Amino acid sequence: MKTYETTIIFDPGLEEARINEEVDRVSQSISQAAGEVIEVQRWGKRKLAYNIRKRRDGTYIHIKHKSPPELIGEMDRRFRLNESVLRHLTVLAVKESPRPAEEPGRVGEPAVAQAAHVAPHEEKV
Amino acid sequence: MAREGESRSFRRKFCKLCFDKVDRIDYKDDRRLTRFITDRGKIVPRRISGTCARHQSQITEAVKRARILALLPFTSEQYR
Repeated sequence: MKTYETTIIFDPGLEEARINEEVDRVSQSISQAAGEVIEVQRWGKRKLAYNIRKRRDGTYIHIKHKSPPELIGEMDRRFRLNESVLRHLTVLAVKESPRPAEEPGRVGEPAVAQAAHVAPHEEKV
Repeated sequence: MAREGESRSFRRKFCKLCFDKVDRIDYKDDRRLTRFITDRGKIVPRRISGTCARHQSQITEAVKRARILALLPFTSEQYR
């Protein structure tokens, strides 16, 4: 089971109830496949950076979920067939462990280099 | 006329994302990403922006994803 992030752009003309229905359908297919919906974000109606199927806006839904990889292909197929979905994208979610040991070292390096540069200057002045 | 390189004063470029200690760039964060695309919608190259390799590859991936979701343009309106 892997964690995914799926973003769906619905037709802006769709009513709230219809979108809820669509979201429920997706959530159901996830739980049916023994997956788990972690979070559903509603970004609401947003302006698109370019027109998709002559629509200027879209209603964005962002779902974070744990699903078996086999489901992703099936989900993709369903979104393609669904006329009210303008665009969709599923990506692997980033693991939330930023490797704390590595980060201070990387940030520290330039600081050390800077200190070395500054030191001789100060002596001159 | 002096050559371009001579008249310009040099200032060391640095990775702005390292400076801000950004760990990961998110494709959903389109406000941040707009700083790394040109007015035509192209990804700004490393030699211009001074971004480090690690962050540049993250930017590239994030911009491409954001374009699919129409958060960022593939190209700007007037050149279409």
